[in-house]
Amino acid sequence: MDRALRRRIEARFGEVLTGPVRQRHDETELRLAPGDVTTVMRALHDEPDLRFRFLADLCGVDTGLVMQVVYHLWSDSTPDWLRVIADGLPRDDPRVPSVTFLWKGAEWMEREAYDMFGITFEGNRDLRRIYMPPDYTSFPLRKDFYLADDAARSPGAGVRHMERTHAPRNATKTSLLRHAKGA
Amino acid sequence: MTATIPGRRYASEDDPRVILEEQVGVFEPVPPFPPRTEREAEFYTLGDGEMFLNMGPQHPSTHGVLRVVLKINGEVVTDLDPVLGYLHRGVEKLCENADYHQAICYLDPLEYVSSLFCEWPAVMAFEKLLDVEVPRRAEYIRVLSGELLRVASHALFMGWMALDLGGLTPILWSFIERDEIVEMLGSLTGARMLFNYYRIGGVNGDLNHEFMSRLGDWMTRATEQHEANVRLLNENEIFVRRMRGLGQVDRETALRMCMTGPNLRAAGVPFDVRRSHPYSVYPELDFDIPTRDEGDCLARYLLRLDEVKQSLRIIDQCLHQMPDGPVIAKLPRLLRPRPGRAYAAVESPRGQYAIYGISDGTDQPFRMRIHDPSFVHLQSVGLLMPGHLIADTMAVMASLDPIMGGVDK
Repeated sequence: MDRALRRRIEARFGEVLTGPVRQRHDETELRLAPGDVTTVMRALHDEPDLRFRFLADLCGVDTGLVMQVVYHLWSDSTPDWLRVIADGLPRDDPRVPSVTFLWKGAEWMEREAYDMFGITFEGNRDLRRIYMPPDYTSFPLRKDFYLADDAARSPGAGVRHMERTHAPRNATKTSLLRHAKGA
Repeated sequence: MTATIPGRRYASEDDPRVILEEQVGVFEPVPPFPPRTEREAEFYTLGDGEMFLNMGPQHPSTHGVLRVVLKINGEVVTDLDPVLGYLHRGVEKLCENADYHQAICYLDPLEYVSSLFCEWPAVMAFEKLLDVEVPRRAEYIRVLSGELLRVASHALFMGWMALDLGGLTPILWSFIERDEIVEMLGSLTGARMLFNYYRIGGVNGDLNHEFMSRLGDWMTRATEQHEANVRLLNENEIFVRRMRGLGQVDRETALRMCMTGPNLRAAGVPFDVRRSHPYSVYPELDFDIPTRDEGDCLARYLLRLDEVKQSLRIIDQCLHQMPDGPVIAKLPRLLRPRPGRAYAAVESPRGQYAIYGISDGTDQPFRMRIHDPSFVHLQSVGLLMPGHLIADTMAVMASLDPIMGGVDK
């Protein structure tokens, strides 16, 4: 755990953070609003005492209440993994700026997050489905997408294979989205 | 007359061949709908003298089920668009609906060539969530089995690489080498391919006599066999001249493309998770991180051969330093970690393999993100290919060593 990194990040980004910087094991976690992603990522990438040159992972998370986009960065200036969480994306229209201007390789990871969660990455020039067929309308990794568990929802019953838009009868009611706007 | 299936049309009473009403297995390269993104519009617009060529999904050398749409001008590839998803199983969703122990066995079939490296980050992430201390002997056994599998995976890479270029002998040699290692691990874990050997808090069983005798037998000739493998292709002029300068990538681009593992190190960046972000007992072991500066297909190939040498060193040290003791920590059958998040990464033969787990306090992971290096590497094919010949597509792709099981998750 790198205590100095925490102080550096609090001093540098103190005003844009939406929660405390948390540290556990070898991970440092910071949270920010989606609007600040571009400036913070650019600063993390470019500034000589941070130098997070390497994007280890990018993924979407559906907490059931909001959407998040989680970035994991690595730098040779610290032994910690840095986890940047763009928090509080509304579930009905999650939007976040793309980081493809820094890491071209994030393009497919963003496509995957779009495919699985319906998160729109503004600035990604190739935001289309990557795993699911192009005419697919659900977002499978969302928490309101339930796994098939009975034959009543099978293709034989007229429900398209793996396309689930209805929750089981005993599930809690959540709003459901058919299409993300744009892209 | 042979038995016929009702409802099918046959050629004749004597000829049981089925007449298909419509042609199957034909893929139109151009999607039947208007382009949805800027990039798609750009790609599916033909320039002067250009045409599309559809490759796959059942292409013998795509290492799985991958479709690539090539835009070609004569025989030169100007652009390409990989189409994924033919193997998509939704493993992340399945893991969210399984408990922590069950989730691990869903991960094996991702990178089926080196499946221990899929389990490893998962158990590491769960151990972080649970704050479990792993016994040292278990860590050594993990490193030992992992490095053995790395040798097998790189051996197979060498064979595939040559096979994609039209050489048939190396794949036979590499399968001999891989089979020895896989049989060895089979006697340790009980399975030849999908091991499901690592457990949260340790490994499934201690080293046994059969494994140790097979390993000792193999170790006496491993170096020799490796050198024979090296000689097989390194001095082959056709191979070397074809690979040199093909699919070149520089340091900055490699970092920008989020490349990891041998592909990044072949471009001159000495990033290896085992050293850059030490896990398990790697800090106690002595090995080098080979790098190369050229960043072309030949460098990627040679770098993997250098890595095998380092893996053999690590295996040797593991056997000498292996401590006694338990191989698994005592844990309850049903695990309920405290709510939290954990990220764990290991250096798989293809690069950084990472799992990001979120616990909400129940016995199932709330979210389990699988980061597969093959997925990230495959997208850089589009960057490396333009300007090369159609036949080199497979060479470039093979040199990046993607496994489609991992790409499609």
